[in-house]
Amino acid sequence: MTMTLASGKARRFWKTMTGRSSSGPTISLVWSLPAVFFMLAFFLFPLADNMIRSVGADGGWSFAPYKRLFFDPYYLEVLGVTLGFSFAVTLACLLVGYPVAYFMVRHAGRLYGLCIFFLVAPLLTSIIMRTFGWRVLLARQGFANAFMMEFGLIERPLNLLNGPVIALLATVQVLVPFMVLAITSSLQGVDRRLEESARLLGAGRASTFFRITAPLTLDGIGTGFILVFMLANGSFVTLLLLGGGSLQTFPLLIYQQINSTRDFVLAGAMSNVLLMSAVICLVIQARLLRRRGTKP
Amino acid sequence: MLDLNRRKLIRGLGAGAVGLATGGLRIGGAHAQSQAITVTAFGGIWEQTIRDVMVPDFTKRTGVRANVLIGGPQQWMAQIEANRAKPPIDVLMNTVDLALIAGKTGLVEPMAKDKVPNLADVPARFLDVVEGNGVLFTYGAWGLAYHERVKQPPKSFKEFVEGTIKGRWRASLPSAAYTGTPQILIWSLADALGGSVDNVTPAFEAIKQMKANSVFWTGISDPLTQLESGEADVAVYVDGRAWAHFDAGAKWIRYVNPTEGGVMQPSIAQKVKNGSDAAWEYINSLLSPGPQAEVAKRMNFGVSNSKVDYPEPLGSRITPWQETRWPPFEKTGIAQREWLDRWNREIRA
Repeated sequence: MTMTLASGKARRFWKTMTGRSSSGPTISLVWSLPAVFFMLAFFLFPLADNMIRSVGADGGWSFAPYKRLFFDPYYLEVLGVTLGFSFAVTLACLLVGYPVAYFMVRHAGRLYGLCIFFLVAPLLTSIIMRTFGWRVLLARQGFANAFMMEFGLIERPLNLLNGPVIALLATVQVLVPFMVLAITSSLQGVDRRLEESARLLGAGRASTFFRITAPLTLDGIGTGFILVFMLANGSFVTLLLLGGGSLQTFPLLIYQQINSTRDFVLAGAMSNVLLMSAVICLVIQARLLRRRGTKP
Repeated sequence: MLDLNRRKLIRGLGAGAVGLATGGLRIGGAHAQSQAITVTAFGGIWEQTIRDVMVPDFTKRTGVRANVLIGGPQQWMAQIEANRAKPPIDVLMNTVDLALIAGKTGLVEPMAKDKVPNLADVPARFLDVVEGNGVLFTYGAWGLAYHERVKQPPKSFKEFVEGTIKGRWRASLPSAAYTGTPQILIWSLADALGGSVDNVTPAFEAIKQMKANSVFWTGISDPLTQLESGEADVAVYVDGRAWAHFDAGAKWIRYVNPTEGGVMQPSIAQKVKNGSDAAWEYINSLLSPGPQAEVAKRMNFGVSNSKVDYPEPLGSRITPWQETRWPPFEKTGIAQREWLDRWNREIRA
């Protein structure tokens, strides 16, 4: 069998598929088997099972859960909130992350390694602990309220928790390192002579940044955008613990259906819709970025 | 040369995989031979009590080991459903609504008095609540916990609702993400405000009005944090955990059993179908007076064996089961999908 794979046909097929004339497609195929098996067992089969489960009803087929999700204004609103929240988080991560990445690449110098450490270190802490930290800081008798009352900024403690703003802030805090790391790697590849040429030709700092630097880092922005958007789309713990029910998204409803009502059919349909909406958004983002001359 | 090395490596990996698989089988075989059963426990003090009290009692009597699996009923039921013929769990600890489903779907066996002698000392209602497909192990009563800073606490659920709406205190309420919300909040308030399991509108109207002065929680420990941090002043909470928190040093916490009666929330022990017969003996241990008294002492929860005498201060803390309100679990289990859908649309918390 191995010999067959290594035969001329296999070599030609390999060359056609990869564009490379490899002497060892056999080995490459063998090496890829664990990954293929892993994807089949833990991604494709469960996905197919979930798809079938969401349309199977009493031995027949029923698209009632999808009808409910697409024609009930409530669920359409939840879908809109889910995607809108993900987009807002991604945009905020970009606005926060780009300057940080720029500072790290252009100005940190020897402190670059330390910056990377401080950026990655929070990722080593449990997301639940980080979320709980926000609760401690922003509780009615927490640090933020105590500080503002001490300095006479407020008379009564404010309700800073359990709202969409704090949920967004905390999610940004969790996801911004992914954006920074993606942009950093892209910024490092920018040829600074191009920026210098622009400056020599009379462009100001802002103009140089927006017309030279930023377009050249679209690759990194694209990667960061997609990464953060996908993670925010499935974000669950932060919203559950800090949202206080003010934001209703599909991941929260899926948890509720499984945890409280055992409605696996509706939960399955919701997860499929969430997946498809994420894929559609990805395709749109990829196309937009490609038009700008980059391939995320 | 490189190819040869790779081949060797692949062969080696293959051999290793086969070795691991066969070794695994041997381990599995040895495991089966050593006669161990798998029992379930919720996390925290629950797990510790099961390990320290129930498992030693069972092993001492039978010589059989018991592995303790930590998690939640949803996860355990999914594991059993995935392998009904050879279930990975022998004794399932469950909530009432899921215990009823487990009984109806044939995941568990009916309790047998000839196999569990201690059932003779357990009130019939503790079996009837799940139609005989399990037995109540412990129970808590859901009343009102509050911080000592509240000088005039509510004495009833009705007062609690009115006081929250008027802004006398901030309330801590379970959100839709908590499994018990349909019983401990929706049905409870409906019942206290003149509604019923068939008419929960009074509860929804009350929660909508209370929302402005309320915070909602998802995890069972959240109300304790909310009360301590000042996020809330009065919480819908279970007696056992409130007293356990008091004993742990939170001397500011108070608990009141509302005049309508706290809402009964039992933990149900069930024998999994096709599981080991030794599971019956383990359930017998769960219901033994000695171990049950220790459970009550450690967890501050009521237990099912009528021979158990609670020493003070436990006796005055544990709400007698006859004084609790029992939700019509059969009906609430069916209605909760509709209630949660309504909650999502109207309450959004």
